[in-house]
Amino acid sequence: MNTFIESRELIAVDVGGNRLWATYHKPCRDLSNLAPDEKNRVGILFLNSGLLPRASPSAVYWAESFARCGYPAIRFDLPGLGDSQGDIPEKAFDFVSDGGYAPDLAAALKNIVNRYELSGVVLMGLCAGAVTSLFTAAISAECQGLILMDPYFHVPQERLKIRDELSRWSVLSGPGLFAGHVYHGFRHLARVLRGNKLPKNANLPLLRSWRQVTSAGKPVLVLKAPSLKTRGIKPRAGEFDYLAYLQRVAGSGADVRVRVIEGTNHSFADTAGCQGVREHSERWLNHFFPLSTQTEPQEATVMERAMALPGLRS
Amino acid sequence: MVAVEEAGYFEVAGAHLYTVLHEVAAPAARVLLIGAFGAERHTSYLPWVRWARYLAQTGIECLRYDYRGIGESTGCFEELSFDDWKEDVEMLAAWLNRRAPMVPLALHGLEVGALLASSAFAAGMGDALLLWAAPNTANEVLRPQLVRRVAIDNMFRYGTERKRVADYLDLIETEPIEVEGYRWSQKLWRDSLDVDLPAAMKADSAGARPVRSVVLDSRAEPLVKGSMSVVVEPDLTALFADNLEWLHSSLVTGGGGR
Repeated sequence: MNTFIESRELIAVDVGGNRLWATYHKPCRDLSNLAPDEKNRVGILFLNSGLLPRASPSAVYWAESFARCGYPAIRFDLPGLGDSQGDIPEKAFDFVSDGGYAPDLAAALKNIVNRYELSGVVLMGLCAGAVTSLFTAAISAECQGLILMDPYFHVPQERLKIRDELSRWSVLSGPGLFAGHVYHGFRHLARVLRGNKLPKNANLPLLRSWRQVTSAGKPVLVLKAPSLKTRGIKPRAGEFDYLAYLQRVAGSGADVRVRVIEGTNHSFADTAGCQGVREHSERWLNHFFPLSTQTEPQEATVMERAMALPGLRS
Repeated sequence: MVAVEEAGYFEVAGAHLYTVLHEVAAPAARVLLIGAFGAERHTSYLPWVRWARYLAQTGIECLRYDYRGIGESTGCFEELSFDDWKEDVEMLAAWLNRRAPMVPLALHGLEVGALLASSAFAAGMGDALLLWAAPNTANEVLRPQLVRRVAIDNMFRYGTERKRVADYLDLIETEPIEVEGYRWSQKLWRDSLDVDLPAAMKADSAGARPVRSVVLDSRAEPLVKGSMSVVVEPDLTALFADNLEWLHSSLVTGGGGR
């Protein structure tokens, strides 16, 4: 069995006594053939949502697309997840909310940057992967930018089963829809009366990381899927508007861009999500991390390349 | 016992299968792990890897892999069929046999993997067959995935905009539909109705070779079909220990060896 094929290579990174696994997607152009000014380029490292392994169809699609544009792309399994060794903490999501994976990921970034002679890495994470990416960006010199897909900035609480049932009822039935409107209307009123302060369950260490990253001038792209009962980037009535808050506290030197991808859902795994994430990310990469001033890919060219990918023709 | 995990690519027609060999020095037996299908692969991944490690630590070498066009393996899912995935099983079983012809081999499948394992076993491959959550047909696994897709779509629709599963089944007759990142073809759906468990495999024997079929209940989440479990590390010790004992008695101490 080979550890590499024409377009990919399986890589192992030893961190903290664990062997961690990743898949490296080779860029379309061989680094050794590039001009010196073009050689130092960023790689994109993707972290999947929650406890999912690194190889969901959308993750593979984005990695292949970036590699075709010339950006090395890496899909990575954190300790204990996917094929990587290690134990998963008993309260895994609390561990994520505390930034528990950040030191190991930062060490892995050093290794990967040295191994492939990269100038740095853009971390791209989905949901819990976005939370870990942000914590890591604050402590890693190798991380030069962030693509955060549906990040959350609160500490998730364990939900009672009855609450899940109520949520389902409020979505699926007429009376439930009405009850949901009333409930969120009251929440909105309560929030306004309290002066729209940060919620008690806000993840303060994560918000501090945000300030560190944005004030350091690292560009951030936030991609959002549509939320229930709202349009655009605004949250539904009654919920705290973290994105507006974060843009306010980011500081004047920050470059934060927020984009909503219509027609998809939180996983971004459908065709609209896959293509939307790819288009926004490539445009953003070309702007902040151009491969070369002479050969910057044109939007139409990028689109054509990705549309030719098997399995994702619309 | 120290086991080494070696990830690699195994070449098949037009694609490369992602494989992880849990290698054991002087193994007592070997198992080909044929895992869950499509999106179920992702949710069942953690306990599946834990099971492979558990086996390897007790001296049973195993090989797990991703189906062609799924997960880490290459290939265009939309263009593949159950015949291709059956071929994957046969080629990997043959490869394991060539590695150590004298060491007994079990085929072990989960859900759709159980159907594919049964098919290869019925064709004469393997010395024992272990099935977890074997459906009657592959369609029993595909349908809940489609229902989940419809439910997610309907979350953002109201009134007459909402669609039924039947609407999607009409649609798949004319064009592929995307389900949790995989594009399902008309052929996949139709074939899934015919990919079934051979009658002989439903009983706990198939001639001289041992067969065991285990029904997984909710305690086995997230291995269970259609599970949306948020249990991070379910305690599967009892399931693992019981099935390890069966593998040992079938392949090592019970005369299943060659």
